[in-house]
Amino acid sequence: MVKQEKEDKKSVVPLSDLQPGGKGQIAYLQAKGKSQMQKLLSIGVIPGMHVVLVQRFPSYVFKLGHTQFAIDKELARSVYVKITK
Amino acid sequence: MLRDFVKNIGYDDPLEASLSKIEGLLLSDYRISKRSVALLILQEDPDISEAVRNRESAESAKEIFAIAGELKTHYSYPLTYIITERRQREASRISSAATTVTKKGSLGIREAVSSAMMNPFIGGPILLAVMYYGLYKFVGNFGAGVLVDFLEDKVFDHYLNPLVAGLVDKYVPWAMLGDLIAGDYGVVTLGFRYAFAIIMPIVATFFLAFAVIEDSGYLPRLAMLVDQIFKKIGLSGRAVIPLVLGLGCSTMATMVTRTLPTKRERIIATLLLALAIPCSAQMGVILALLESRPLGLIVWLSVIMGVFLVVGYLASKIMPGELPSFYMEIPPLRFPQVSNVLRKTASRMKWYFLEVLPLFMFASVLIWIGKITGIFGFFVRILEHPVRWIGLPSEASVAFLFGFFRRDYGAAGLYDLKTEGLLTGNQLVVACVTLTLFLPCIAQLLMNIKERGMKIGIAMSAFILFFSFSIGWTVSILLSISGLSL
Repeated sequence: MVKQEKEDKKSVVPLSDLQPGGKGQIAYLQAKGKSQMQKLLSIGVIPGMHVVLVQRFPSYVFKLGHTQFAIDKELARSVYVKITK
Repeated sequence: MLRDFVKNIGYDDPLEASLSKIEGLLLSDYRISKRSVALLILQEDPDISEAVRNRESAESAKEIFAIAGELKTHYSYPLTYIITERRQREASRISSAATTVTKKGSLGIREAVSSAMMNPFIGGPILLAVMYYGLYKFVGNFGAGVLVDFLEDKVFDHYLNPLVAGLVDKYVPWAMLGDLIAGDYGVVTLGFRYAFAIIMPIVATFFLAFAVIEDSGYLPRLAMLVDQIFKKIGLSGRAVIPLVLGLGCSTMATMVTRTLPTKRERIIATLLLALAIPCSAQMGVILALLESRPLGLIVWLSVIMGVFLVVGYLASKIMPGELPSFYMEIPPLRFPQVSNVLRKTASRMKWYFLEVLPLFMFASVLIWIGKITGIFGFFVRILEHPVRWIGLPSEASVAFLFGFFRRDYGAAGLYDLKTEGLLTGNQLVVACVTLTLFLPCIAQLLMNIKERGMKIGIAMSAFILFFSFSIGWTVSILLSISGLSL
């Protein structure tokens, strides 16, 4: 982990911890395997992007750029976002 | 040493330096730019890495992978991550320079409908409504009812069949050949008639309904809704698309399982399509068989759904491999566009006629050969045993054998038995359950083998043969113990 990320740790939470309507900027990804990481990258879940969580159940739905994506809990846990207002 | 080289070049960016070093080492032609090849190598793309190993000299290949390996040590994240991030940054820069975002107009209703579809409580009733109007009303009543009646009774029975029979009588001297063309199971009287008068209207209305649903953006919303349930049967929500398509034509749906990301998911989906997803042609006849027996229909539906869930659950426990993960874009809802809907329907119909129709004709020929050689009678007699075990009259065994060549033939054979009054309500339900689960039609069997390989395709079919009769037997025993009369 890079130093700066450690400093931000308090306000950085997994996407799965946001409440609906909660906003954040993607800080880093901590996927279980290479293929999990690849999946997230392929839909554009990349550090620096802004997300808004729309829904938590039965799947996680979030806005990213001009589109919406649905992901399961496993993937939502591996996206770390810096909470923004 | 390499690090020194990077510095020598004067780049402050090790990624860029490694790229140009690798580009310089690539001598073969890969049909894409050397830079793309180099980028793919750095991202550890298995196909490109393999190609590079094969086409470059052992020495340069070694050096190339050494550069890639060394570059990795510069970053705390995989190179894919770094490369994607840079691309995204550049794309964002371009797009923000070239576009202006205006306040969006009235998306109120659309967003409300969209979130209703994704709501776990309202989403269920919406799914039922889509199934009821799209499948039952439009495909079932209109396609399988109105259109089939018209084509069968008016076009074939009144016009085409007598015409062909007359021509054959007149010009085909050899009775057996005449039989092949216009006999009870002839290529025209049975093959063409089933393909054009029964299957075509049902499949066409289904494809039309499916295209409307697909184009509206409903399917990804359904996928996110069912993902957690599908995880229990070893699939991700994404698999809902081939499975729903399977309600139209399971053979086509088996081909569409290619869109599933892992081999494990593809095998489980193929098995469930072959076993527990009745295609539209089959469903049309089953609805007709259980027409005036709502209780029977409920028992049939519960058994099939139970089998779907239990077999899926067990398959997911037994099958090794990576667990599925779900990620899908949810595009904005929109009103289906007529041109898209027509284009999708037309391309699926074209596929159907080119790929499946010849198999139907082939099945007619097989039945003809089977009949004149007596092989057919032999198999019918073998099948009579399991058919009797599940409490059905031996006459039903013909229907089951035909069911293998075409699932709907089998169901239609049972329909004849029903109209002759040979089957009780309980027997009808047992027959419908067994026939739904029974071996897929020959087209689907061939597709299973083509998509999943000989070993898995055959093993699956053997399992289904055994399993369908076991479930039929169980249902028949349970019904007689419970004293229910459906």
